[in-house]
Amino acid sequence: MRLAGFYVFAVAVVLLPVLFPDNYFVTVVGIAAGLHVILAVGLNLLMGYAGQISLGHGAFFGMGAYASAILTARYAWPAPLAMFVGLAVAGLVAWLLARPILRLRGHYLAMATLGFGIIVHVVMVQATRWTGGPDGLTGIPALDLLGWPVDSDLRWYAVVAAAALLAIWLSLNLIDSRIGRALRAVHGSEFAAQMLGIDTGRAKTQVFVVSALFAAFAGSLFAHQQGFVSPDSFSLMVSVELVTMVVLGGMASTFGAACGAIALTLLHAGLVVFEDYEMLIHGALLMAVMIFMPQGLFGGLSQGARRLWRALRRGGDN
Amino acid sequence: MIARTRFSALDHLLVVEGLEQSFGGVMALAGISFRVPPGLVYAVIGPNGAGKTTLFNALCGFYRPSAGSVRFGGGELLGLPPHRIAARGMARTFQNLQLFFNMTVLENVMAGCYLRARSGLLAAALRLPEVRREERQLREWAREALKLCKLANRADQPAGALPYGLMKRVEIARALATQPRLLLLDEPAAGLNDTETMALRDLIDRIRASGVTVLLVEHHMPLVMGVSDRLLVLDYGSVLAEGTPAEIQANQRVVAAYLGGAVQYAV
Repeated sequence: MRLAGFYVFAVAVVLLPVLFPDNYFVTVVGIAAGLHVILAVGLNLLMGYAGQISLGHGAFFGMGAYASAILTARYAWPAPLAMFVGLAVAGLVAWLLARPILRLRGHYLAMATLGFGIIVHVVMVQATRWTGGPDGLTGIPALDLLGWPVDSDLRWYAVVAAAALLAIWLSLNLIDSRIGRALRAVHGSEFAAQMLGIDTGRAKTQVFVVSALFAAFAGSLFAHQQGFVSPDSFSLMVSVELVTMVVLGGMASTFGAACGAIALTLLHAGLVVFEDYEMLIHGALLMAVMIFMPQGLFGGLSQGARRLWRALRRGGDN
Repeated sequence: MIARTRFSALDHLLVVEGLEQSFGGVMALAGISFRVPPGLVYAVIGPNGAGKTTLFNALCGFYRPSAGSVRFGGGELLGLPPHRIAARGMARTFQNLQLFFNMTVLENVMAGCYLRARSGLLAAALRLPEVRREERQLREWAREALKLCKLANRADQPAGALPYGLMKRVEIARALATQPRLLLLDEPAAGLNDTETMALRDLIDRIRASGVTVLLVEHHMPLVMGVSDRLLVLDYGSVLAEGTPAEIQANQRVVAAYLGGAVQYAV
């Protein structure tokens, strides 16, 4: 069954707040994790499947967030329209950027996207009149879905969970289609892909735009949920963390990316108690995962589970 | 066989004229001309460095030849990018495997059906009913190609898990899935054992029987002489000879330059 994993995941996402309605890790960390899932699943389409890298995805996240923030807080636009503008801007920028930038490979592509992320961040800090500068923008209204105000943590959990499930569903559909196979073909061998009639430049542009749209969508939700945006949320470090989520989950797996996003979010939340040592433990854990589970957390754990299962069965036989 | 090789110029599937390809002053192809009639297995042989793979890369748009023309089914190919040339009905395999190791065998071949389907990004992401239908159809087409290549039982394995000989067959299945008019095979027997080479000969015969013209680069002389209808011999980027296997084997210049000694291959 193609969507079996999706249904299992969906049931878990629905059960969590039912079982633990007041748990901080569900209603606060859960929302952050959900937004990260959208970002990681989108970036995974580009990185894991199409084999391109972006170290500037925080920029698209920021574009979605700032479009919603500026248009709703300053100009009192309706939230859906502001979100649409954010998606359009991020999509357009990604499309304009894709052709020249995706000609580059490997380190060069990494550098170019890195530069892009830094430029957008500088604009957020410097264009004070629009963005509020380093202090950011406040007064972003909460979402209102057809008269249903999203004004509690639990409601936000529901909205973000639905959005994250939508992102996963779209990604699973896309990957297992003609377009998705074309993307994976680009990763496998660009020349061979071209000889199957795949316009690889176009395929790369498409996936870059799609992953930018995922990021902008998450950004828009983020702005409304936080009620406040500042450039710190879209810095270079955020872009790097997104890449880490995808790699941590095991590239080229939608659920891997989702798990990577959730794991890293939980890790941050759990390590807060260690204060000064947080970054140290964080780094050490990441290194350990990469050394002992090179296929990522998702692949590594499912392989470990299979081994344990086999060992248990053998133990039972004796 | 003799009757099949008499064609007028208009009937040729591929007409190459004065094709030149140079790399920094080195002439890899020094003005090559030849014609491939449809329905044949047409082999290109010659010593290493004679320009065989360069010829393939020039034909399918990977290189930009400096002069000449390549007419395919009546249209000019020169200057088109590879994906447009593929759309005209040319497919190929690669000397160094270019399999998609990140996919299963079936998915590799389904990727080969790209041009035979239509669905776009949005429809695919939303999994519209027409996409479901199309997926079923692609799966069926891919299985047909796998069956022709005797790979049906390997469909769901990761492409990278196959033995080398079978990987090369997956490349052929993937190329056939594009429904080409002309199939370029670049050293399909390299690295194969005798049994696999025999099976390859059968497969090439079946491909010809299905109506696909084959352009074959190969060093394995018994295979080439056995399976080809006509041969083109290249040496130092030029055409040394052209003819039927019997004519080529009797050609003193070819024997001296490439075949060596008085070798006869069973046909």
